[in-house]
Amino acid sequence: MSSVTNMQNIFQKLGDLKSFFLFGQKIIPTFQMIIDFMQDTVPLLENVNQSIQDSTSKIPKAALQLNSVTNATEIATTEILDTIDGIDNELTTIKSCLDTLGTHIRQQRTVINDISGKMNQRELAEDLKKKLNHESIEGEIGTASSKIDKIQEGMMNITLSLQVQDITAQQLSSVNHLIQSIQFRLSSLLTDMNNKDNRDSRDFEQEISKNAAFNPDAHYDKEHKSQELADQLVTNNFSKPSQEEIDQLFAQK
Amino acid sequence: MALKFLIVDDSVTMRRIVANSLKTIGHDSYSEAGDGREALAKLNSDNTINFVITDWNMPELSGLGLVRSIRSEPKYGSIPILMVTTRGLKEDIIEALNAKVNNYIVKPFTPQILKDKIEQIISTVG
Repeated sequence: MSSVTNMQNIFQKLGDLKSFFLFGQKIIPTFQMIIDFMQDTVPLLENVNQSIQDSTSKIPKAALQLNSVTNATEIATTEILDTIDGIDNELTTIKSCLDTLGTHIRQQRTVINDISGKMNQRELAEDLKKKLNHESIEGEIGTASSKIDKIQEGMMNITLSLQVQDITAQQLSSVNHLIQSIQFRLSSLLTDMNNKDNRDSRDFEQEISKNAAFNPDAHYDKEHKSQELADQLVTNNFSKPSQEEIDQLFAQK
Repeated sequence: MALKFLIVDDSVTMRRIVANSLKTIGHDSYSEAGDGREALAKLNSDNTINFVITDWNMPELSGLGLVRSIRSEPKYGSIPILMVTTRGLKEDIIEALNAKVNNYIVKPFTPQILKDKIEQIISTVG
């Protein structure tokens, strides 16, 4: 009985062995395919490696170029502001001259009135004022002054629009930060590929803190929607609670 | 009360624009700083400064850091502070208010907005 059982066990083991060999026969081509695939992949990975190395070496240049753009726009903006200030000063001088001219005309009119009064020559005075074109000149002065006001207002608007320089500078700083983060990641990948210790790169965390010198969400909002939100929050923050709110607070206790 | 402003911003352009806007609304007296640390040095050396207009994102010491430093200093802890920044998210504004800024402007601003905020602060602080 026991020899029969033993034989059955042996046949079962042989059956298992046969299944294993059959499975092996089936799986060997798959292994072969994997090996072939890996042999094909090696040159591809080398290409990827080379490409990453090339890209990584170009990133610092890209970052520098972005900084140059920011510097160039800041210089250009300062030049525009200088020019605007220069024109504004000139306009202020012209306006002051016009005011002086207006004062002189008023003084002339007073003198004419005084003299004509003393000489009892009212008609002569009116005739003289007409010939001197006082009213027309005063009208022209008024028109010129209001035109100057409009030009100055326009220049102030240009100045305000130049705030876009600061906003774009912050956006470019944010992009620069992103580029540098990518460089660190790629460097880390390269180090991994070359089987080098990579702790420093792995430790590199580039979370943008609130203390960064730029705001990644900076945008040019001329509609002042964010200002409305700020006003609302400031008002809520500083407004005294109403009696109803105080009562509600005590009722909760 | 004659106001002497301290304009704190790392952007030369923005300092210039704030200064021009102040002139437009009738305030000619101001001093400038490029970051929070420089601003603290100015506050320590010039006791005629009685109003701070500061940006948020700056190197060395941020605007928020500057506000906290000012508020913790008895010498000038109660000075009015107006924050002028690109940060317009609700949580940012609340954080600034918690740090005890007196008012908040989101860039871009107009001289009228600046004037309104300064007047609001003056009427509240006295």
